[in-house]
Amino acid sequence: MLLSDLLSTASKGITVNRMRSLLTMLGIIIGVGSIVLMTGVGKSIENVILGQIDFMGPKTMAIFPGNKGPEGGNPALRSDFDSLTLDDAEALSSLTTVKNIAPVIFVPGSAQYGREKTDPRIVGSSPEYYLNQNISVSEGRLHDAKDEESSSAVAVIGSEISEDLFYNQSAVGKRIEMGGRKFTVIGVLNPVGTVFFQNIDDRILIPLSTAVSITNRSFADMFTLQAANDFEIAFADVRALLRQRHGIVPPPDGSIDNDDFLVRSAAQAEEILGTVSLSLTVFITMIAGISLFVGGIGIMNIMIVSVTERTKEIGLRKAVGATRKNILVQIMTESVFLTVIGGLIGILAGIGLSFIIAKIAEKFLPEYGFAINIGAIPLAAVMAAATGITFGVYPAKRAADLSPIEALRYE
Amino acid sequence: MPSGTPPLIETKKLFKSYFNEEVETPVLFDINLAINSGEFVAIMGPSGSGKSTLMHILGFLDHHTKGEYFFHGKPAKKMDEDELAFVRATRVSFVFQAFNLLPRATVFENVLLPLIYHPTIPASERHERVTSAIEAVGMSDRTHFLSSQLSGGQKQRAAIARALVTEPEVIFADEPTGNLDSHSGIQVMSALQKLNNSGRTIILVTHEKSTAEHAKRIIELFDGRITRDTTGFEMRKARDGSIQK
Repeated sequence: MLLSDLLSTASKGITVNRMRSLLTMLGIIIGVGSIVLMTGVGKSIENVILGQIDFMGPKTMAIFPGNKGPEGGNPALRSDFDSLTLDDAEALSSLTTVKNIAPVIFVPGSAQYGREKTDPRIVGSSPEYYLNQNISVSEGRLHDAKDEESSSAVAVIGSEISEDLFYNQSAVGKRIEMGGRKFTVIGVLNPVGTVFFQNIDDRILIPLSTAVSITNRSFADMFTLQAANDFEIAFADVRALLRQRHGIVPPPDGSIDNDDFLVRSAAQAEEILGTVSLSLTVFITMIAGISLFVGGIGIMNIMIVSVTERTKEIGLRKAVGATRKNILVQIMTESVFLTVIGGLIGILAGIGLSFIIAKIAEKFLPEYGFAINIGAIPLAAVMAAATGITFGVYPAKRAADLSPIEALRYE
Repeated sequence: MPSGTPPLIETKKLFKSYFNEEVETPVLFDINLAINSGEFVAIMGPSGSGKSTLMHILGFLDHHTKGEYFFHGKPAKKMDEDELAFVRATRVSFVFQAFNLLPRATVFENVLLPLIYHPTIPASERHERVTSAIEAVGMSDRTHFLSSQLSGGQKQRAAIARALVTEPEVIFADEPTGNLDSHSGIQVMSALQKLNNSGRTIILVTHEKSTAEHAKRIIELFDGRITRDTTGFEMRKARDGSIQK
């Protein structure tokens, strides 16, 4: 029996009853489609988050007061939100392994221009903050060391704030009111969107010294800084210096339970994201696997019905010379055809739905882009074909084992 | 036939029983026969006499229970499933009472079917063979008709075309006129007779004497046993004698 005979016989076998074949394929279409769709959506989300992390730069790290990281930590230390002092920042700047130390103080309050009012996140920090966060202006300038020295009442505003307070007018030079003080807008930030779950566009940045004078604080809400060269060494140096300054004795097991601060980096975030992403992929694949299993049982069921319906035809084929192997391969090919066609439709449907979801999501999250996990496509195709083979064996064997005369006599 | 050449078909003390769980139902008893190449044999008997079962055994569609069956001198018991399929593909073919055509396939596709499984006929010869087989049964104008669009007689002629497309040594015909009107029955029998005239061995199973009389030899079965084995000449002599009386 030629391959072309086999393919044409199998294709006729499944096209005779198209609606039934389509319904049979539905389980496979959903299974494969969900693998492609879910891994595609996962990839898109991962790209968004990775994009935000990369935006900060791989060498950037952030130090937070207290210790409430995912590792847990000593609950007694959790209230230590004043543990990062501006003196600590000063001390860190003496380290040669780090640079751009930028303490951050969040100043409560709203901003007003004329009758327009908005509730921004007011951030007081040094000019190094801009370098660490990769921030630039579309208009005007960023504040500099001179502004810091003189505790100037100047503000660099995010694009959304500019939009809220000034509509389409130029904001630079205008004076806005925050906490009873007038600030001169010196720059408007380029639109950035959300970076690592924080919307940069709704911020107003003022000099650190100005924030200190407003809040009268000697401690920071966080530090941002960068490794000068090797990230791991910088990371260890920062931790050692802060422990020394805060009189913390680390436990012998090397844990950070006793620390009253938490150091986080973009690289760590990427690592955590990678783990989450992998777990998610495994989870989705398992769900899709269950769907394919159910689809496979559907295929087996229909193939058994089909074989039973065609018992006489199988008897005839045997009577004119078909071997057991011919029949086995023919029925198996039909099952594999059903699953592979179902798989292909599933792949196309998964890609199509990912695209539609991307188009909708882009309206709410501009960084969201259409993405497909290329590795998932061969995986889905192989899983579909394997389903066809696995669940095609039993009906095929049943057909192949029929005695020609018993099959011909079947009513 | 040269002396020493074994008959095409030979059975010795052949028995067949069907088993339903523990219950044995014997169907054929002590069948001894020999059929040579080129013969036109009718196996005749009433319903339940075992004639179809005998044909199925001789055509390798079924197995006998006891005794021996030789095809060209080779014992059938020694053939494995693949060898049996090979014999069915290359040396024997069947015409069934119920036609057994694929309903959603055309006459051409139905006649083509045995060639798909034929191990030696190249694909390049298929078209010509199918066309000439259809032509041989006078169905050229129905080549691309679906088998479900044919009359009973046309269906049986398509089935005969399918049986002869591989040029087998033996054609087994099981009640080939059973589902046909008398006119179509005559057409089918004359097609079989033509095939026999061209040297093909025909083994026909029927319960109708008038159909059996087209054969050159009639083997009569009753309750699973051969009761008479007569040549056409003897048969005609007996019939003519009775007319004279």
